[in-house]
Amino acid sequence: MDIPELIRLERRDVDIHLTWSDGTEHEVTYDDLRYACPCAKCGPQRNSDESSLILRNNVEKLPREIPTVRPVGHYALSFEWANGCSSGIHRFERIWRLGQKQDPDNGNAYVHGVW
Amino acid sequence: MSHPPKQLMADSPVKVNNPGGAPEPATPEDQKKMETAYNQMKRKMSISEMGKAIKHKIMVLSGKGGVGKSTVATGLALSLAQQGLKVGLLDIDITGPNVPKMMGLDGRRLNVDAGRIHPAEGHLGVKVISMAFLLEDEDTPVVWRGPIKLGAIQQFIGDVEWGDLDYLIIDFPPGTSDEPLTVAQNLPDIDGMVIVTTPQDVALLDSRKSITFSKSLKVDVIGVIENMSGYTIHGKAPAGTEIELAAPGGKTIKTTTNENGDWSGTLDIFKAGGGEKTAKEFGVPFLGKLPFDPGFVRGGDDGVHRIVSEPEGPSAIAFAEIVAHIQNIVESAPTTGKLEII
Repeated sequence: MDIPELIRLERRDVDIHLTWSDGTEHEVTYDDLRYACPCAKCGPQRNSDESSLILRNNVEKLPREIPTVRPVGHYALSFEWANGCSSGIHRFERIWRLGQKQDPDNGNAYVHGVW
Repeated sequence: MSHPPKQLMADSPVKVNNPGGAPEPATPEDQKKMETAYNQMKRKMSISEMGKAIKHKIMVLSGKGGVGKSTVATGLALSLAQQGLKVGLLDIDITGPNVPKMMGLDGRRLNVDAGRIHPAEGHLGVKVISMAFLLEDEDTPVVWRGPIKLGAIQQFIGDVEWGDLDYLIIDFPPGTSDEPLTVAQNLPDIDGMVIVTTPQDVALLDSRKSITFSKSLKVDVIGVIENMSGYTIHGKAPAGTEIELAAPGGKTIKTTTNENGDWSGTLDIFKAGGGEKTAKEFGVPFLGKLPFDPGFVRGGDDGVHRIVSEPEGPSAIAFAEIVAHIQNIVESAPTTGKLEII
């Protein structure tokens, strides 16, 4: 998937503001980011409607905080929280999909081991 | 006016004081957690400093085992050092570390001082780090699951006192698994990957995966090197003699002795041209060919790399041409804009 390069990420109170190299701008809430965590623990919870709802509720109950953001190589970002899961490695393609308000899992069930 | 307790990290071993209560002493478990957290923080700082101290970092991969990747990685490091550059060689092959043997550092142990690992110095001043330095006995296998390998690799990246280097060459085990993924995730500002292959289809199948792997990690492919590319044999006969060689694939190679009675012919033992064709297909540079040289076998076993034993021989010249190509690509690459995180 070809996407523009992410050139700026601003951490705000409840969301991140993203600026891409083609001029596109996105807002992605921290709740959406945390709900979409691609790690092996969070990912499978999005495989069914029932567990997805539980995951969403749990995410929304977490204390409000601004994460530390670190690049992972040249291909992803990690978001570190004091509470909740910080294991996810978010590929830029995934963050783009979140910004476009598309399903970051692209309709696919979580598959263990696929990075 | 009372202030709410400060919010601590979820896994912090520090406990918040109860108002009016005495501070609780840290338990041994808490102390261990604090030490681990401190070491991890130090490692992260050290890793971010590496970007400034080491000008260029190159990963050397092959999809397939046995294509001579470690020999090539060592050769690249030595060829760069021949130019007077400061070079480091990191052998990330945890289960089959061969680089120390090729660099004449067999039996060497790591020097650790104040939590920092100091590399050994091999031929031409190349600094070397390898898992082999940790093994008491060269017959001891390293049987580690992924998380332990990950920790060891992160230590090799973050805890080594490389000093200022012009180039760091990183040698990996074959394939596209934990080791290159961990390095790509943790080592900042990698210039790119060099893919080593041999000419035949079976090797190319796997090297194509390495190129795709590199692209999916958004790490530039510096190029493809075709190793074991032709075996040149030499002989003597009266001047003007026509020589016919029965070559692989049913081919016949014809050559004529020169006025000195010398003749040579190149046999494509592992076929020919596959590396260049694959590079073209994937739109990546073809860096060059390295000849099949039995001297590498002897040199690897004796601990004297071919480049060191014959610095002006055909193999050393082939390496120098490839290195010049790599330097041209790496040193003229545009600096990509860094992501601004605020």
